[in-house]
Amino acid sequence: MAEPLLSIRGLKAGYGDFQALFGIDLDLEAGEVLALIGANGAGKSTLLKAIVGLVPCSREMVSLRGEPIGGERPDRIAGRGIALVPEGRRLFRSLSVEENLVIGGERAKPGRWTLETVFRLFPILGERRKSLGTALSGGQQQMVAIGRALMANPDIILFDEISLGLAPVVIKDIYAALPAIAATGVSIILVEQDVSRALGVARTFVCLQEGKVSLAGLPSEHDRAAITAAYFGTRR
Amino acid sequence: MDWVNAIVQGVLLGGLYALFAAGLSLIFGVMRLVNIAHGDLIVLAAYIALVVVQATGLHPLASAIIVVPLMAAIGYAIQRLLLNPTIGKDILSPLLVTFGISVILQNGLLATFTADSRRLAAGPIETASIEILPGLSLGILPLMMFAVSVLLIFGLEWIFYRTSLGRAFRATSDDAEIAQLMMLDRRHVFGMAMALSAAVVAIAGIFLAIRTNFDPSSGPARLLFGFEAVIIGGLGNLWGTLAGGIVLGVAQAIGAQISPGWQILAGHLVFFLVLALRPKGLFPRMD
Repeated sequence: MAEPLLSIRGLKAGYGDFQALFGIDLDLEAGEVLALIGANGAGKSTLLKAIVGLVPCSREMVSLRGEPIGGERPDRIAGRGIALVPEGRRLFRSLSVEENLVIGGERAKPGRWTLETVFRLFPILGERRKSLGTALSGGQQQMVAIGRALMANPDIILFDEISLGLAPVVIKDIYAALPAIAATGVSIILVEQDVSRALGVARTFVCLQEGKVSLAGLPSEHDRAAITAAYFGTRR
Repeated sequence: MDWVNAIVQGVLLGGLYALFAAGLSLIFGVMRLVNIAHGDLIVLAAYIALVVVQATGLHPLASAIIVVPLMAAIGYAIQRLLLNPTIGKDILSPLLVTFGISVILQNGLLATFTADSRRLAAGPIETASIEILPGLSLGILPLMMFAVSVLLIFGLEWIFYRTSLGRAFRATSDDAEIAQLMMLDRRHVFGMAMALSAAVVAIAGIFLAIRTNFDPSSGPARLLFGFEAVIIGGLGNLWGTLAGGIVLGVAQAIGAQISPGWQILAGHLVFFLVLALRPKGLFPRMD
């Protein structure tokens, strides 16, 4: 079998004295969409932050195309082609929509994602390109955050809580864009509270519970009750 | 006409204060760092200008060709070697480091140049003036300082709002953690901000050295004037900083007109009034 694009082995990480992850294993193939599910506090965001270097971990715990990259500086890891759409969007508040997008891509390798292609994916951003990012609605801000990550032309995008706090109609729009993004061949890890929605777009899933993998595989391999049990930690 | 004259001179003096303040404002804006050594860096630039002028025979204003890049390099090195390791943990550590740099600079300058006060002679330009109204003359040098400070603030604004480096400054100021994910090396971005600040400091130092006597202990007063200009104008707003410098300069000029002893006190009183009535300054940044 070919080497996975991203490989995580025995990942332990946390914040100071607080350990949040206890030996996570995870593989992400090129072009794969993986749903990362789990209850609040299960360690999903910490896992994404460890992958992008915002939370420290040991070098061998994260490998990209077989090369260990765990614990590298965040700007280096971003330069290797891993982008994060952070929880809560976290747009740069003094930058316009266009500047938020440009800064995402100006140090990255060129590729199919440019201002024009992002505006084609999210036309409303083109209309509001001169507005401050933070003057937009929550859904539009999420589009900017996604566009900012795309502009880096990454090989892997990590979406943290992609629909949290957004209106249902807006969530539909955001999810409508995901297939177009996945079709470009980029690999995706999707953290999402709405399990059925996440499993609807993902090929594989990993469920975390209290910092450990409680279940993983193809959604079709497991029945609903098994996934619920892995999610909440209840006995079947 | 004395009063009009005092106010006009105060406005022009405000340009120099804006020069003292612009670098301070920039550093605070990008890294939320209050640089206690800012005034001493201005004095260091003045001494470097003195050495350059003595060694090369250049005109003090022309010494900027050497002093500006040298100060920028010193600023970058200070940031990378001394300040970066302390930034991000809490706000006290970098503040204390700048305090330490201030003490070291003052004592280093004292050991090297003694406590004698110095001045850079700029020749006829020091006393040249143009009469714009009967009884109202403007000195060429103060006018030049004011023009340079306006140009510098234009330049800084352009860098901040029109260049990739400026975007990096603003993004890092907004959210330093996420800015790293834009492939920005925070250590380098902070280094560049300090280098830019030190380049402005170099210009301020040269003008200081031409305009007035200076000695190794002159720094803290310049820090205070710069700090007052930043606060009066409103944090994070460079044009506000120019306005703050002008308000401070005019207040001091009016104070001096009342009584020479009132010059500095009047500036402090206006600063105090602004702090009490408009704690965010006269022109706070609109977000």
